[in-house]
Amino acid sequence: MSTEPLLVLDGITKNFGAIEALKGVSFSMRGGEVVALLGDNGAGKSTLVKIISGGLERSGGRMVYDGREISFSSPAEAKAAGIETVYQDLSLCTNVDVVANFFMGREIVKRFLGIPVLQERAMEAVTAKAIADAGTRIPSLRTNVEHLSGGQRQAIELNRFVHWGGKLVLLDEPFAALGVEQTRRGLDMIKKVAAQGIGVIIITHIMTQAFQVADRMVVIRQGQVAGDVRTAETSADEVVRMITGEAAKAVPGTREDARTTGVA
Amino acid sequence: MVSPRRRAAIELVLDNLVWFILAVVLAIFSIAVPNYFQIGIFANIVEQSTFVATLSIGLSLLIIAGYMDLSIESVMALAAMVVGILFAKSGVGIGLTLDPEWLIVPASLVIALAVGALVGASNAFFVVRLRMNAFIVTLAAYIWGRGLVVALSGGRSAQELPPALRFLAIERFLSFPLIAWVSIVATLAFAFILNKTPFGRHLLLIGGNAQAAYRAGINVDRLTAITFVIAGAMAGLAGWLLAIRTSGATANLGVGMLFQAFAAVVIGGVSLKGGVGSLTGVYAGVLLLASIQTAINLMGLPAHFTQLIQGGMVLVAVLLDTVKLSIRKKLI
Repeated sequence: MSTEPLLVLDGITKNFGAIEALKGVSFSMRGGEVVALLGDNGAGKSTLVKIISGGLERSGGRMVYDGREISFSSPAEAKAAGIETVYQDLSLCTNVDVVANFFMGREIVKRFLGIPVLQERAMEAVTAKAIADAGTRIPSLRTNVEHLSGGQRQAIELNRFVHWGGKLVLLDEPFAALGVEQTRRGLDMIKKVAAQGIGVIIITHIMTQAFQVADRMVVIRQGQVAGDVRTAETSADEVVRMITGEAAKAVPGTREDARTTGVA
Repeated sequence: MVSPRRRAAIELVLDNLVWFILAVVLAIFSIAVPNYFQIGIFANIVEQSTFVATLSIGLSLLIIAGYMDLSIESVMALAAMVVGILFAKSGVGIGLTLDPEWLIVPASLVIALAVGALVGASNAFFVVRLRMNAFIVTLAAYIWGRGLVVALSGGRSAQELPPALRFLAIERFLSFPLIAWVSIVATLAFAFILNKTPFGRHLLLIGGNAQAAYRAGINVDRLTAITFVIAGAMAGLAGWLLAIRTSGATANLGVGMLFQAFAAVVIGGVSLKGGVGSLTGVYAGVLLLASIQTAINLMGLPAHFTQLIQGGMVLVAVLLDTVKLSIRKKLI
């Protein structure tokens, strides 16, 4: 893990008309760190991820990425800066094959007389290798994605981000459609990616997943950071209370409290 | 499970279904209709297909990207009328001459393409920048485009384009007139762009899931705008070819070709939902429509039979599309 922060969010706000979705979110993370972004439905997690990934423009606040203050006006800019995003609703084009989806927007071309021509064979070879490395089984890479199962589709999307890497990966509920075995593989992929020094922010609702993979937990509640703790120094109960807002009422830091109210 | 080889064979047939249908239809007509089986008749079918085929290129690209363009027919007429007014010798034509004479070919072509591209750019502005519905925007252009043709010509026609331009409709290469070759080359060029270049790949992606394409960093707006301009320019090209073929332009030139183009596009296997289609298939669709029309003419049936049959063909084409999909599902 590097010492310089990879991403610093400082008082990020976002208004949709009169609605304040984010009321000043601040946290920072380093490369190689896995941060789980937790919070109830509507807390503003997805909005925050969209702001980082260039899908939405923030209303206020500063964002420093890789040592520079930045502001992305499109996903293309964020991508060019090395930020990859896996969205909750899958970003696949089901009308084309696996290879075309894998290379979406980054096709391998060779120029003939200045005309860029797609190199299908080269792209297929790269896709096959990436998918085999990840242990995913897909009957044919030339099959249109519409004929694949939900799990296979999500696997393509996950393999895509592992392959393209970049410096920061944002995952918005990436395992929603996956089975047990595939989820385990997905979590391994995240650890592998982080071990390469890439920063990972993962949104999830499933507490065990967050505890399995994250170094830190950042809890968003009503558009603000309600907790920012190291995974090793917290418990599921404590995090749940941060998410629901009970932590504010309880006396902070007392482990007694956790024991008496904890159901588990 | 189907063996890979058999699956590949079935895929090949499904992908090129319209060509197989065309071959069967031509074979049946050749046997059943007297005088149908002649080089001259086939050449005539290809020649007739020139204009609708050229119009269909831009329409197909836009439908594949998830949009449509109803204005192409009027744009074609507008481009033809502008060429007619500038270069035709009688009627409303002012009969411009260039020195050397052959300059008229590139000059009139550039003007026709520019007229089309300009209307295409206007459509793109309303659809992409102002986020207006493509159906409404291009319907408006369909109406005002035709209105402009009538206004420019005063309802009269332009006649007698100079021989330096007319030779394109008269001279033949391998029994097809040169203008037919222009549409064939344009179709092949755009088929290549659609299948083999990133531009075409991105059009398919946009047609399949514009949101995903945008997230993947593809400049969806720019690509859509370019496609509208291409559709306009191709309509301009169709107008140029039509002006050369008819040696001028009339105010009602090409009326009804929009619907023939739509029919050909659907028969050619382009899905109206976007994201699916091939330009060679569309060309086969145009040929199929023209072959039927020719057969009806040769049999001496009244012309309205053509419309009845072509309407039925569109329905059959959409039905086939559904059948193809369910066959494909079973192959997996």
